[in-house]
Amino acid sequence: MSSAILTEHEAAAAGRPGRQTRQDGRPALETRHTAASAAAFHPWHFFVLLSLGAATVAVLVAGPTTPENLVLLSIVIGAAGLAGMGMYRTLAPLASADAALLPERLSPGARAALEREKRLVLRSIKELEFDRAMGKLSAQDFDEMAGRLRARALALMKQLDDGRSAYRALIERELAARIGQAAGPAAVTAPARPPVEAVAAAPPRCASCATSNDADAVFCKQCGARLEGPHP
Amino acid sequence: MATLGSFVLLATFVSAAYALTASVAGARLRSRRLVESGVGAFYFVTALMTVASAIIVHAFVTGNYAIRYVQHYSDAAQPLAYKIASYWGGLDGSIMFWVFLLSVFGAVAVSVNRERYRELIPWVIAVIAGTEMFFIFLMVVHNNPFSTFLTQVPAEGKGLNPLLQNFYMAIHPPSLYTGFVAMTIPYAFGIAALVTGNLDDAWLRAVRRWTMVGWLFLTFGLTLGMLWAYEELGWGGFWGWDPVENAGLLPWFTATAFLHSVMVQERRGMLRVWNVTLVIVTFFLTIFGTFMTRSGVVQSVHAFGEDRWLAALFTGFMIVILIFSFGLVIYRLPLLKARHELDSWMSREAAFLANNWILLFSAFFVLFATMFPTLSEAVTGERLTVGPPFFNKWMTPIGLILLVLTGIAPLLAWRKSTVNNFVRSILWPTVGGVVTGASLVALGIPVWSAGVCFALCAFVFIAIGQEFVRGAEVRRGVTGTDRLTAMVGLVARSRRRYGGYIVHLGIVLMFLGFAGQDFKRQETVLLKPGQQTTVGKFTVRHDALTVTSDAQKQMITGQVSIFEKGEAKGEMSPAKWFFNKHEQEPTSEVAIRRAPAQDLYIVLAGYDVQTQAASYAITINPLVDWIWLGFGVLAFGTGLALLPESAVAFAVAKVPAGAITTGLMLLLLLLPVSARAQTATTPQQVEPIKESPLKRQLQRDLMCTCGACRSPLNDCQMRPACHGYREQNAKIDAYVAKGMNRDEILAAFVKEHGGEDVLTAPIDRGFNRLAWLFPYLVGGVGGVLAIALVARRSSHPREEEAPGQPRTEDAGLQERLDDELRDLD
Repeated sequence: MSSAILTEHEAAAAGRPGRQTRQDGRPALETRHTAASAAAFHPWHFFVLLSLGAATVAVLVAGPTTPENLVLLSIVIGAAGLAGMGMYRTLAPLASADAALLPERLSPGARAALEREKRLVLRSIKELEFDRAMGKLSAQDFDEMAGRLRARALALMKQLDDGRSAYRALIERELAARIGQAAGPAAVTAPARPPVEAVAAAPPRCASCATSNDADAVFCKQCGARLEGPHP
Repeated sequence: MATLGSFVLLATFVSAAYALTASVAGARLRSRRLVESGVGAFYFVTALMTVASAIIVHAFVTGNYAIRYVQHYSDAAQPLAYKIASYWGGLDGSIMFWVFLLSVFGAVAVSVNRERYRELIPWVIAVIAGTEMFFIFLMVVHNNPFSTFLTQVPAEGKGLNPLLQNFYMAIHPPSLYTGFVAMTIPYAFGIAALVTGNLDDAWLRAVRRWTMVGWLFLTFGLTLGMLWAYEELGWGGFWGWDPVENAGLLPWFTATAFLHSVMVQERRGMLRVWNVTLVIVTFFLTIFGTFMTRSGVVQSVHAFGEDRWLAALFTGFMIVILIFSFGLVIYRLPLLKARHELDSWMSREAAFLANNWILLFSAFFVLFATMFPTLSEAVTGERLTVGPPFFNKWMTPIGLILLVLTGIAPLLAWRKSTVNNFVRSILWPTVGGVVTGASLVALGIPVWSAGVCFALCAFVFIAIGQEFVRGAEVRRGVTGTDRLTAMVGLVARSRRRYGGYIVHLGIVLMFLGFAGQDFKRQETVLLKPGQQTTVGKFTVRHDALTVTSDAQKQMITGQVSIFEKGEAKGEMSPAKWFFNKHEQEPTSEVAIRRAPAQDLYIVLAGYDVQTQAASYAITINPLVDWIWLGFGVLAFGTGLALLPESAVAFAVAKVPAGAITTGLMLLLLLLPVSARAQTATTPQQVEPIKESPLKRQLQRDLMCTCGACRSPLNDCQMRPACHGYREQNAKIDAYVAKGMNRDEILAAFVKEHGGEDVLTAPIDRGFNRLAWLFPYLVGGVGGVLAIALVARRSSHPREEEAPGQPRTEDAGLQERLDDELRDLD
């Protein structure tokens, strides 16, 4: 969300209308998704309505026949509606702007692997404790194995802790790079960009009911009044 | 509609090709929109296959006989359910059904894992879409279920094979296919992991559940197949080692092996190459199984018939799979190095290794024995038969070893078990097993394998019961609750472990049922109305013979009354049904009186409507119901292991005390045991037809030559009316009367028949010796290799972290570790 806000801010600075800029500048799919969830009408609504309509017509046209025929006809048409949706789902991404597979680069497998390995080691310790309690292991074996596992778990936790700061730095770098991309040449001439928190911390407040709204809101979510501020 | 169907299939092929291309291109170019579009196309394939399936079902239900496939496999008189089941009743439709299921499973797998495994998903889609393309290609160019009659559309359909018009048969193929298809998902993830090089354990987590689901469906499908064979084929057994049955069993073995070895990788980081290999082999075997049943390379009761072209296509596809998959494995070998070595031979890892070895051995043995006739034909030009006696001889000891491992492995700890503790754990199970064995010997149980099996069942049962009790005791000590709560909590907390143990219990019950088969008694008797015969503790009285008919078939039904120790126990009505247009293939409608101890199983074998006389094949099948019950327990255990965390939290909160036990009791009580009191009369007693032990042995050694049943004589489902059975039997009688011994008679049959395929197992000489030597060879050499490999590896110094005591500055971390460990419970 914060990245969307940032882009909007950049757009406002460049003097372009907010919504359009957002669609141009952000990863297309995320934007589409946000827009779709805000809208009342989703693409799948269209296909469901279409199938229902088509099924009704088919049943009317079929005339007097067996119920299973009608049910199956409707199923065929329903499946066709599904196919329509599949077709839409295939073509829609092609029509939108491309985005590199950035998120994958941002979440390096290494960290996740460390987390997983830690969980695995913890589970193994638990398992070992249980086996010890069940009397399957001698105290000596248990101490040796659990000691080894605990040492491994500690090492992993340490690695994770050390990695956290490096990870944050990586996010910041990626973010900066994206902001640079979105703002274009303006970013080069404006090095003193406001930090993420500063932008996010200034939500527009409704003049009539004093409700604080989302940064990109045009109307108040409480009373519906048009909001003052950068939005037209 | 037919044209639309063909068009939809073409469109499906194109979109599958697009999904494959877009995904691969997207992954290579790191383009998100291409990948997303590929995902969309993948869903589109699913939607199109749904359309195609709906069209064909519509055609079946409305009787659109212009479509060849519909005309061939249905008719107007069929009940609605069987009209729908006709969809997968033939070759073309079954391929289409396969693609439909694969597309649905693929779509679900992709949609569930899309966010978590972004790197892998494009490749997963590519692999699944590639597999779909192969099958759609088959349909488009060779087996189009929508192909129509060019001229003269028949007004009537031929009707589904009567044998398939059975409740179990309607749901057996979907279940088996689902199992087969679900195995494609682990393969796709495995290949994706190999391609991307993300070979940590992430892909295993994604596929473990899918393998479990596939395994459950496979088991369900196999059990349904057994039930179908038991109820519909009428030979009194449930498993005939038919190639088609074996085709389902092969991936079951390797999937079971994978489900065990995956734990070794998760816990110990070992067996990484092995797991990838198992996933590939399992998938390969599903395709191979499909190939076996559909190409006609093996002869079987329910294969679809010979088709050289299909065989060639399948062979090509299988070669591509093998080269591609194992090429990738070799390419990625450096990334697949094991992180740990085997600590001790007395550890759970070692037990799992043994179990994997035996399961793999079973798979290859069954594969080899199933393919041996084809192999022999190719090498020597002579076609042989490898029948149930050969399989049983080998699989009985293998099954028993697996049963022992089922009990021992849970007693062992990971890494290393101490001798004293292991002895303590194994003491009571062993005592239980020995006591059971000794009592069986004292009671004079005649068959060694069954006796050993019962003793081992007792061993495993006590071993697993002990695990539950001791686990509950430990938990009770920690949580301070009562025993039952501790038990429920225990199972809920470690669902995989205890779900697995419950599966093992299910296996024990199934083995009880298998062992019961050694005590099976089969008699044939000819009765006139009012006459009766006694088999075991049951007396069967023939009351009447009725002839009725409905729109679909003519039914000849024998009415018999059953008495147990003089007390009337009810009536049974075994029948023969002659379906219209299939009069030459009457079906046996078996009458079964089920009880936990033994089933009374009566088949109307022959009849004379004029005199109202009927000949009955009466079988006493001890313990057979425990197989079905065992499957129920197994499914419950698998379901438990599959449950997500939240579901169990809910269940633990709501499950009333003792609910599980009550459920089991209910299940037991539900086994239909009818008891109706009647007064018995004293009709004329008739003795069953006596057969000498030599003749019975010969009936097991020789195949029935009727050509339809492809079974040993004593299992022919059409006997005693079957012409092949009658001819063979007459010859046996003649030879026995001449005073010939078993070997002489068998030799005479081979000479007369002109080939050894009249025998149920190949004679141990010449090329055939390979069939007998192979299991020894593979078992021995493989075992030695595995032991040598592991021993060499475990003798290497371990490059594991030094145990060393944690330093004091880590005190904070230590505390956090303790906290996390506490939270984990």
